Amino acid sequence: MIALPTQRDENWRYANLRPLAKASVEAVAQRDPPAVELPPPLAGFERWVFVDGRLSSGVPAGAVARLLDARTAGAAFAAQLDDSIASAGVDFALARINAARGDEVLHLALPDSASASVEVLFIATAPGASGTSYPRLQVHAARGARLHLVERHLGTQGADSAVNAAVDLALAADAMVQHARVQHAGDSAACFDTLVAHVGERACYKLQTVMLGGLASRSTLFIQLAGRAARCELTAAAVANGIQTHDVFAEIEHAAPDTVTRELFRGIATERGKLAFNGKIIVRENAHESDSEQSLKSLLTGSGAEAAARPQLEIYTDRVRAAHGATTGKLDDQMLFYLLSRGIERPTAQGLLQWAFIEDAVSRVTPAALREVIERAVVKRLSDVASLDGLLVSP
Amino acid sequence: MTSLLKIENLSAKAGGKEVLKGLSLTLNAGEVHAIMGPNGSGKSTLSYVLAGRPGYEITGGKVEFMGHDLFAMAPEERARAGMFLGFQYPVEIPGVNNVYLLKAAVNAKRKATGQPEVDAYEFLQLVRAKMKLMQMDESFLSRGVNEGFSGGEKKRNEILQMLVLEPALAVLDETDSGLDIDALKVVARGVNSLRSAERGVLLITHYQRLLDHIVPDHVHVLARGRIARSGGKELAHELERRGYDWVLEVA
Repeated sequence: MIALPTQRDENWRYANLRPLAKASVEAVAQRDPPAVELPPPLAGFERWVFVDGRLSSGVPAGAVARLLDARTAGAAFAAQLDDSIASAGVDFALARINAARGDEVLHLALPDSASASVEVLFIATAPGASGTSYPRLQVHAARGARLHLVERHLGTQGADSAVNAAVDLALAADAMVQHARVQHAGDSAACFDTLVAHVGERACYKLQTVMLGGLASRSTLFIQLAGRAARCELTAAAVANGIQTHDVFAEIEHAAPDTVTRELFRGIATERGKLAFNGKIIVRENAHESDSEQSLKSLLTGSGAEAAARPQLEIYTDRVRAAHGATTGKLDDQMLFYLLSRGIERPTAQGLLQWAFIEDAVSRVTPAALREVIERAVVKRLSDVASLDGLLVSP
Repeated sequence: MTSLLKIENLSAKAGGKEVLKGLSLTLNAGEVHAIMGPNGSGKSTLSYVLAGRPGYEITGGKVEFMGHDLFAMAPEERARAGMFLGFQYPVEIPGVNNVYLLKAAVNAKRKATGQPEVDAYEFLQLVRAKMKLMQMDESFLSRGVNEGFSGGEKKRNEILQMLVLEPALAVLDETDSGLDIDALKVVARGVNSLRSAERGVLLITHYQRLLDHIVPDHVHVLARGRIARSGGKELAHELERRGYDWVLEVA
C-alpha cells in the first residue's frame, strides 16, 4: 500500500489532495467506452484516444506508438528512476501508484533521427467513486530523433473523475522533444500527474503546459539535464477560477556541464482560486557553466484568490549563471485606467490585461491549431468571449 | 454657442492635499484653450480629474460635459461620450496590441451609440491613413501598446488614438513635453487636423512653443489651483517673456 502525500509534506503544502483521496484507488473497471465528443484532430498528428485510462480509439494505421500491458512496461518505467528520483520519496508516490494500478501504457519509441507528431487524448468520464484513471505514457527518443507530442487531458463536465497520470521521457543525444500539455478536464475533476524526463547530451526538451480545468490539479515534474549541453524550456500557464487549485512542483536538475534551463510561469487566480508554482533548480558539482533562468509571475484578481510562486535554487558549484524572479500582484491600476480612458468597458479592460499577462506563456504552444484552441479556452476563463473576440486574431 | 465643458469653482485633493482650489473655466465647441502654469500648479491634476482617474477627491464645485454632470460618469463613460485624455506619460501595456486597443475603443463607442461594429478592412484603412499623417511606421500597429516606444513615439501614438476616436473634447496633458521640433510639428499637425466647429481642445502645457503650432483661442494661467489670468494667444507670449513669477505676483 503506497500512501498519498499530505499537505504536511514540504512540496505538497499548496496541493488540494482531498478530491483524489476521496476517489476509489482502483482502476476504473473495463467497460464499453462511453461515447465522448472529441476535439477536431490536429493535422499531421497520429492520434490516440484513451477514456478513463484505457484505449478507446483503434490503433492508428502505421502507428509510431504502441500499446503495452502495464506489467510489461513496468520495468521500462522503473528504469527511468535514477538516484534522484528514487530519493524523491513521497513526491514520487503518485507515480508508483500509477505503475501499480494502471493497466495500459502508450509506448512511443523513436529510432535514431526519426521524427513524428503524436497526439494523445486522455478523457475522464467515470465518477471518482467508481475508480481512478491511470493514464501512462512512455517516450524514448533515440539519438537525433524529433518528436512533437501533444498530451491533452479532457473530461466530462460535472463528473468528479480522478486522474493520476504518469509520463516518462528519455531523450538521447541530440534528440528534440516538443511537448504540449493541456489539462482542460471537467471543472469537478481531480487531475494529478507525475512527469519524469531524462535529457541527454545536446538534447532539448520543450515542455509547454497549460492548466485550466479540474477542481484540483497538481503536476509534479522531475527533469534531469543529464548530458552536456542538455536544454530544458519549461513554460507553464494556469488559470484558477472559482475554488480551483492548480499546483506545480517542477524540479530541474543540472547534472552536466553547459546545461541550460529556461523556465516561465504565468498564473492567474480569480475569485477564490489558488495557484502554486514551486520551481526548484538543482545545480550539481559537475554542472559548471550551466545557465538557468526562472521567471514566475502570478496575478490575483479576486479578494479570496491566493498564489504562491517560489523559485528555489540549490547550487553546488561556482561558475554558473542562475537568474530568477518571482512576483505576485494585482492588475496594474495605471494600465486599467489607460484602457478605461479610451472608452473600453471595465470587464473587457480587465480581461485584456489578464490576457496580456498570461499571453507570454500561451503564445509558445505549438502547433498553431492547438494554440488557438488554448487561447480561446483561456480567454473564455478570463472574460466573456464576445468582448475579447478579435483579440486572438493577429493583424 | 454650446459649451462643451463648463467647470465651476472646482476644488480637488490629490493624496490628501488640496491641489485645485476653486477653478472655473468654460470651453465652447470650436474653441482651443491652452492652460499654462508652473510646475505643481495643478495642470495634470485638472486633466486627471476630468478623465476620472482614481485617487483624486472632488471637494467642491461641479463640471458639466456636453450638458451632463461629469462626475456622475465613470471614466469609460466619459470617453464614450467624447472625452479624450492625451496622457503626459502614456502607459505601456505589453501583450495588448495597438491596433486591438484602437478597435476595441472605437467599437465600445459605437456600441454605446447603437452603431454596429466597424468593418475590419475599412478600419485598418482609416488607421493607416492617420498613421501616415502622424508619420508612424505601420509596424507600430502590431506592437504592444506603447511597448518599447520612445517618448516621442508614445506622444504620436496618443495623437493617433485621438484622431481615430475623433473626440468632442480632447484634453492634451503636456503632449509637447519631450518632443523635438520635428515631432512637435507632427503632433501639432495631428491636433490641428481635428479642429472643427463641433470640437474643442484643452491644451495643457508648460511652454509657449506648442502654441506657435496650435494657435489657441484662449490662454489661461493656472496658479495655486485656480485660473490666475486669462487672455488671448498674446498672453502666452507675455508669459514666455516675463515668466510665471509675474502672474504669481499679480495673483
